[in-house]
Amino acid sequence: MTAPLLKRLRDLLGPDALLTAPSDLLVYECDGFTIEKNTPDVVVFPTSTEQVVAVVKACNDFGVPFLPRGAGTSLAGGCLPVGGGVMIALTRMKRILEVNYRERYAVVEPGVVNLWLTNHLKPHGWHYAPDPSSQGACTIGGNVATNSGGPHTLKYGVTVNHVLGVELVLPDGRVVRTGGPAEDNPGYDLTGVIVGSEGTFGIATKTWVRITRNPEAYRTLLGVFETVADATNTISELIGAGIVPAALEMLDSLILQAVEAAFHFGFPLDAGAVLIMEVDGLEAGLGDEAERIIAIAKKNKAREVRRANTDAERLLLWKCRKQAFGAVGRLAPSYCTQDGVVPRTKLPHILNEIQRIGTKYQLRICNVFHAGDGNIHPILLFDERDADQTKRVLAASHEILEECVRVGGSVTGEHGIGVEKIDFMSKLFTPEDLGVMLRLRNAFNPNNRCSPAKMLPTAGACIEASKAGRRAAL
Amino acid sequence: MDANICRIDDFGPLPVVQPASVAELSDIVRGAALQDQAIYPYGGRTMLDHGLPPTRPGIAVDLRGLTQVIEYPARDMTITVQAGITLAKLGELLRPENQRLPIDVPDADRATLGGALATNVSGPRRLGHGTLRDYVIGITVVNDEGHEAKAGGRVVKNVAGYDLCKLYIGALGTLGIISQVTLKLRPLADEQALVILTCEPHAVAALLDALHRSRTRPVCLELLNDAAVAALNVQHPGLLPDAPRVLIVGYEEKRETVAWQVQQLIAELPAGTLKSLESRVGSTADPLWQWLVEFPAWSGALLTFKANLLPGATAEFFAKAADLPEGLALQAHAGSGIVLGHATDALTLERARAMLAVLEPIATAAQGNIVLRRCPTAWKATLPVWGKPREDLWLMRAVRQQLDPKERFNPGRFLV
Repeated sequence: MTAPLLKRLRDLLGPDALLTAPSDLLVYECDGFTIEKNTPDVVVFPTSTEQVVAVVKACNDFGVPFLPRGAGTSLAGGCLPVGGGVMIALTRMKRILEVNYRERYAVVEPGVVNLWLTNHLKPHGWHYAPDPSSQGACTIGGNVATNSGGPHTLKYGVTVNHVLGVELVLPDGRVVRTGGPAEDNPGYDLTGVIVGSEGTFGIATKTWVRITRNPEAYRTLLGVFETVADATNTISELIGAGIVPAALEMLDSLILQAVEAAFHFGFPLDAGAVLIMEVDGLEAGLGDEAERIIAIAKKNKAREVRRANTDAERLLLWKCRKQAFGAVGRLAPSYCTQDGVVPRTKLPHILNEIQRIGTKYQLRICNVFHAGDGNIHPILLFDERDADQTKRVLAASHEILEECVRVGGSVTGEHGIGVEKIDFMSKLFTPEDLGVMLRLRNAFNPNNRCSPAKMLPTAGACIEASKAGRRAAL
Repeated sequence: MDANICRIDDFGPLPVVQPASVAELSDIVRGAALQDQAIYPYGGRTMLDHGLPPTRPGIAVDLRGLTQVIEYPARDMTITVQAGITLAKLGELLRPENQRLPIDVPDADRATLGGALATNVSGPRRLGHGTLRDYVIGITVVNDEGHEAKAGGRVVKNVAGYDLCKLYIGALGTLGIISQVTLKLRPLADEQALVILTCEPHAVAALLDALHRSRTRPVCLELLNDAAVAALNVQHPGLLPDAPRVLIVGYEEKRETVAWQVQQLIAELPAGTLKSLESRVGSTADPLWQWLVEFPAWSGALLTFKANLLPGATAEFFAKAADLPEGLALQAHAGSGIVLGHATDALTLERARAMLAVLEPIATAAQGNIVLRRCPTAWKATLPVWGKPREDLWLMRAVRQQLDPKERFNPGRFLV
């Protein structure tokens, strides 16, 4: 990093808006995927679209790569600064700019935390539907980059189904607005393809999101099963019966131990698995739907099906689920979360495979995941100080994801490709498929200066940059 | 129309080829590339007059030979099919499994899935069920080089790679020919009901606001003016009451939930604003549902426009359009801010221009636009068929320049 660029950034943003000390940069060396790390050369904190534009133009003038970052909760290395460069942290752009209930949209800056928006809307009886488990920390800008999901996306859809438009700073510093609060604008759905592009198309500085009215009522059920197989059979039968729950989440016995120790919900510690099954909507008819679910669970040998009787109980149950990852710290010093997807009927198979692979590599693996979508999150427990364990974790992760692909699934349902899964792209897609994706990226980011080395594999090429691109744990 | 030739907007005759497999389709695209011919893909020809006239000679590719069902794992609630399948056929496949694709497509026995995607068709149920972009989880196109290129996959949640599904929907085939699609499905509803309200024009805005606040969750909220009702009643006498304005509120859900919503809606409606109220539950609602789906493609129209607006601006736009001297037949998907207007034979080019000059500023002020779905070919040279260009047009052009640099697909016909 050249001193003139640093000076220019400091002049543009002021001394309080950039970090350069190695100890400060350490925080930004990785996201929730901790196996690979690299520090940026500088982290800048713009507060406006104009400042983002100025930073991007400066990076272009000096030929330095740059990438956006939200809260850094992503789990695939999406905001790993491969090749160093300028990290544009958007956490100071945190205003909710507009909320329009009649037209059912809100406009937010990228650093707005997902849950802030929902909390802001709550007094009016509305919410923002995508609810990643990290919603108390993750930003909407980050959600847009990774097309985040969450437990309730089973019924309500993922981020892209709730994004109406974006203001995007392109990698050359031009600003464009795509979509907007009215639906069906003529032309290509650029918004739809910008969502989930993992920062490789530019930096979204404003997002028009759809807001959703709160359901009038919920029925939240906890099914307790002796075995994982009984739980997965229940999932399969619920979906097959045409029931579309608002959420359908599974926790296995190992994760239950950790969650119970952390939150004291009263989970049965001798159960093989539990299912959180929630239906929502209007009060009329909801009771019947809950009864149908209970009947199907019982038919599949549920030991018992508990009901969350109060709102507080429901919220505690969801807290247990959403903060399960945090509780994993009680089980092991490090963990690696995977994000495979399988057709829902293949869930029993993939869970057997995960168990087999865990045994093969002598690893403890716990499971907590979005069962209704077939989106698994095996959590591989290890100690990153032990190189051999780390190696086995990577091999086991790889084998689990390969099996997901083999049964017709995907290697990521909501966390993204990032750097972690970039080698899988050529297993999921043909050179022709990737060729089209590369051409599309060229329309937005022809010099690949924005978020380089993400999403698309660069066939055999090493990354030329100011310093070693990726510092792996191995 | 002769099966072996095709005209699009009086351009042609174009020779027609009908591939029986995706491999044949790839060969056709490669062959056309070698001879530098343009390619005009089509399905059921139900929307062929959408867009501008072709600008280069070439071949028309009839995709109705690609109708295979690749995989239907009903328990996973997904289906993978070739794009030439008609929507009616798709519905027949899904119904025995109690499933559906809840997208309203007119002329479903002719319209193909690929055509519906290319033109991003939607209808009344979009309020409750969304649009095609919410259902396509995997897509394969034959690209400008004749290669099959896919995006997405066959699972309902997937963020691997760029989501090109979104880009191809509504692209009028300009970025590749859609050959295969994987869809997420929904269960059929147990019950349905339509509540039909009639009122005076001045009462519409307040009624729509009240419906927006309703405790009920309609899947459709249709608004018709007297001319639309008259057009309907000519075809189906007595299907709707004659009234200046008719609002139709639709529910699809569990039986108990539908019944409750119908009662609740009736209780909520402001007293004194309605001229009449009637509900149709179950199969008695079928004929009206069907008509609401079909009317956007009404063949009696000389010109059809579609405006997209902020939903709250629908009443004002509708009122201004209804007051024009053309006697437009108007249908709005009022919960989604979509207004369709049909003009009959009396319209002239001059009057069409004047009409759009009135309506376009209202649409753009409501953060939307107005496009022509159909009009006489000769008028297309001077009317804003694709509406008022927006600021991201140059980026759309950059995307096309990358994905179809020779403008092989549908040259001249799209706004990009």
